[in-house]
Amino acid sequence: MLTRVKSAVANFMGGIMAGSSGSEHGGGGCGGSDLPLRFPYGRPEFLGLSQDEVECSADHIARPILILKETRRLPWATGYAEVINAGKSTHNEDQASCEVLTVKKKAGAITSTPNRNSTKRRSSLPNGEGLQLKENSESEGVSCHYWSLFDGHAGSGAAVVASRLLQHHITEQLQDIVDILRNSAVLPPTCLGEEPENTPANSRTLTRAASLRGGVGAPGSPSTPPTRFFTEKKIPHECLVIGALESAFKEMDLQIERERSSYNISGGCTALIVICLLGKLYVANAGDSRAIIIRNGEIVPMSSEFTPETERQRLQYLAFMQPHLLGNEFTHLEFPRRVQRKELGKKMLYRDFNMTGWAYKTIEDDDLKFPLIYGEGKKARVMATIGVTRGLGDHDLKVHDSNIYIKPFLSSAPEVRVYDLSKYEHGADDVLVLATDGLWDVLANEEVAEAITQFLPNCDPDDPHRYTLAAQDLVMRARGVLKDRGWRISNDRLGSGDDISVYVIPLIHGNKLS
Amino acid sequence: MTYAYLFKYIIIGDTGVGKSCLLLQFTDKRFQPVHDLTIGVEFGARMVNIDGKQIKLQIWDTAGQESFRSITRSYYRGAAGALLVYDITRRETFNHLTSWLEDARQHSSSNMVIMLIGNKSDLESRRDVKREEGEAFAREHGLIFMETSAKTACNVEEAFINTAKEIYRKIQQGLFDVHNEANGIKIGPQQCISTSVGSIASQRNSGDVESNSGCC
Repeated sequence: MLTRVKSAVANFMGGIMAGSSGSEHGGGGCGGSDLPLRFPYGRPEFLGLSQDEVECSADHIARPILILKETRRLPWATGYAEVINAGKSTHNEDQASCEVLTVKKKAGAITSTPNRNSTKRRSSLPNGEGLQLKENSESEGVSCHYWSLFDGHAGSGAAVVASRLLQHHITEQLQDIVDILRNSAVLPPTCLGEEPENTPANSRTLTRAASLRGGVGAPGSPSTPPTRFFTEKKIPHECLVIGALESAFKEMDLQIERERSSYNISGGCTALIVICLLGKLYVANAGDSRAIIIRNGEIVPMSSEFTPETERQRLQYLAFMQPHLLGNEFTHLEFPRRVQRKELGKKMLYRDFNMTGWAYKTIEDDDLKFPLIYGEGKKARVMATIGVTRGLGDHDLKVHDSNIYIKPFLSSAPEVRVYDLSKYEHGADDVLVLATDGLWDVLANEEVAEAITQFLPNCDPDDPHRYTLAAQDLVMRARGVLKDRGWRISNDRLGSGDDISVYVIPLIHGNKLS
Repeated sequence: MTYAYLFKYIIIGDTGVGKSCLLLQFTDKRFQPVHDLTIGVEFGARMVNIDGKQIKLQIWDTAGQESFRSITRSYYRGAAGALLVYDITRRETFNHLTSWLEDARQHSSSNMVIMLIGNKSDLESRRDVKREEGEAFAREHGLIFMETSAKTACNVEEAFINTAKEIYRKIQQGLFDVHNEANGIKIGPQQCISTSVGSIASQRNSGDVESNSGCC
């Protein structure tokens, strides 16, 4: 709302802060703290905080809840609120970014369908300068709404970098397929450069959409594609978007890996992102943040968490196949408790990568090693080190006091879920909630849904702040208030001492779009 | 820009009394007649000079609306000073002082310095609360008192700086444990004479209260 402290001062302070903050977090003994930061530490750009405000926000005693300022608006009137941890790290290691990306076909990219009908449709828009639009529509982009949340650990470097760069990787991936996506009437070509299968005689599996397109006219070329005698998978458009997101996550992780030789990019981070593209929401999650849709009071989970417990079998299988990754210090088997030497030769319950149930095995020497996965719930760790099994960064993370790298066990692959906005008529109180584990550790989905369904109907439906206020309310409910025995929430339960970041995204705007 | 101490302030009081305008006038030296409602908390900061010492004031500006009261309450903790503001043209904002004071006393450290501010002194013709009433309330509750105008900037510097002086006096008397951040006081980072940035600092350090114009 107010630019309270002038930027000259802020920038100067920023320089100092940035310079000193890099060395604060060791980040798994990477020893790279002499290197410059890739980006200075800060809070999400959309909050528009000065360096002084960032300093104020890092108050671990009062834990101020930061919200979007009046003059700062996010697309769809998205609400956002965050609060710093209760002292576990100097910085708030959560990061976020939100913007509207424009995906344009890359110059020189291979086009699969030379003649697209969208040109004609576009030029008839009432506000368009007909001719000009027609000229430009070829290069006109498709807009893609983007929201992201990152929860850093062992330093804020990876989360800051990902919050600045992941959107570019996503744009880049989508650029290659934007023309295919726009041409929804024809299934994506299996092989680029081939003519799409659009002649009615070609196939009896012709989709309704394809025939519709035929009706509009202008098929690319009259030549008949060669007849094939083998079956071919039909790949729907949304699978290409899922693939693009998966590739973008991988590219982001590779970039962090590359750049850590020239920059200090400390630690790692989880990543939860949402894009809205051509009327569909794509929720991609790698880590333990969570997304749920609250529609008419009902909960629709849009992600699942990746933790040592949920990914036990994948990790155990990897360790089984590549035992050297365990450095002779760990066993990939799981036992209900640590095995003691005196139990050698006895039969104990265990489970391997192929099991969800338990069986007995005779205890051998190897079983005395520390288990690959140990601990329960939030305390579960991979090799006694990390509690989250997907995300970005962590390339230098090692088991304490050893030379065993954790990264081979971590995956940068997100799980992507798709939600078709056009399938439902959304009201003003139907929202998508994205939040880091700071929220979900203390509030169940039902409690979050209840809070939202209590809060939003009591706000003026035209109040532009209503979703930010709802986000603030959620953060407040999860943080609680400081009492003699720490932060407490309702029913005297323990509040979250973690960083908490929450988006409340109204879905009604998605309907307006399409 | 280095400082000897950092003091955390909180500004409280009913909605519409001019809390955000006081802060804006203090940090940016300007007045914004139409002001957005503060929803939650906003921050400002400025250097002042007390007794030749650079002191950084970190100011938390809170939402006055009743619906934000529970959130506001959690921000008293770790404040060294509070500016409790009412509007001299609206008696009800004066009547609510007791409840604000109760909140402040209950949720802050006992040494917190509270400055009572009757704002909008430029609107003399619409005055609804006499200066004497403010003085009496302050005396009764052990507060410092000033009337200010965020619009004309009258006494705004003084309000913030006098509060800082009082905190500084308490530090010297040993009433504040400056090593406990829960008291809202931080000792500055490694002190050194600021040279290259001195010019920025000095622009903002007009902190001589002695030039009190007594305009209100």
